[in-house]
Amino acid sequence: MTSWPKLLMISALFFLLQVSIPWVTASNANVVTGVFIETEEVLHSAYAAVLDAERAGANVSVLLDRLNLAGEYLSEAYFWYRSGDSETANRFAGLCRDAVGNVRNEAVELMDAAKAAGDAEFVETVFESIVGVIVIVVSCYVVWLIFKRRYRRQVLGLKPEVGSSES
Amino acid sequence: MNLKSYRNLFIVITLILTLIAASPALATVISFQGGSEQFSEFWLLGPEHVAENYPFNVSTGEMYNIFVDLANHMDRSEYYLVQVKFGNSTQLDFDSSKPGSLSPLYEFRVFVGDEDVWGSPVTFGFQNVSIKDVVHSADNVTMNVPIEDVVLSVDDVIINGMVFPVDASTSWDSENSGFYFRLSFELWRYDVALKSYSFHNRVVGLQLNMTGS
Repeated sequence: MTSWPKLLMISALFFLLQVSIPWVTASNANVVTGVFIETEEVLHSAYAAVLDAERAGANVSVLLDRLNLAGEYLSEAYFWYRSGDSETANRFAGLCRDAVGNVRNEAVELMDAAKAAGDAEFVETVFESIVGVIVIVVSCYVVWLIFKRRYRRQVLGLKPEVGSSES
Repeated sequence: MNLKSYRNLFIVITLILTLIAASPALATVISFQGGSEQFSEFWLLGPEHVAENYPFNVSTGEMYNIFVDLANHMDRSEYYLVQVKFGNSTQLDFDSSKPGSLSPLYEFRVFVGDEDVWGSPVTFGFQNVSIKDVVHSADNVTMNVPIEDVVLSVDDVIINGMVFPVDASTSWDSENSGFYFRLSFELWRYDVALKSYSFHNRVVGLQLNMTGS
């Protein structure tokens, strides 16, 4: 008689196990998907920062090399994910995030430095242009004055002769 | 020429020289955009890294080498996604206006600087290739079965050492006398404004005759 409750409990345990395994698998898949979304976001935001730095005039080739390594890891992660090996996929996604590392912050620093250098260069260029324009205007004016004086002297120096109508 | 004409000439010369002197500063303020076209180049090369000797007649158990290359002329660094797909001519049509409907087998995620070129070797092969008699639903094809009734299936594609299970099959192409499959490479790029990947209207690929299998 006492064996019935035991049997019932064992059956219930089996039932719970059956129900929980797919749930755990589904939950694990969601976790992996979340990891991929997070990894992609990290990579994309680093890339956007690199683009901003490039637009500001910074040399970003070193940062691109690091993003390329991160891209390789992410491709590998997707391969393992599609192959059904979530653990390895997770590991490669982690490697991708590690490779991206501080790229975003370094890109921001590079952008600030490039902007500061660009501003200094702009001020220098404008200053040089203004000086150039002043020198040219003054030089041309001086040349004009000299030319005008010589021209007048030449014209005034001319002695008109009145021709005689008598032959 | 009177003095007034000389004065006008001096004014014109002064203005021209002034513009020349001010041009570096003007160039930083006025941008001349829209002059260059933004595009990407995408191509495949054969095993000797030249445009010849592309694999065509392929068989199971053999490995084949090609190179996939791309050049960035987008006036900025780009994040490209190269998707490798395998299927028959119905599934993949090498149409550059739209991507193939098949899921990618292999991916390259590459960041290429402006005016830089990226390339990678691609080694591919096939395994578990079988022929089936579709009319009589038999896996073992006898010599008496007409070749038009036979379907050739590929179960695994190997790309750069990784094995990808595929569900690709093709029937006999009587016009070109062969069982033809296609290996395609699609170019996508990450759009920062849209925050998503967009097809970049570039598809290159190989037509592969598997009759020898």
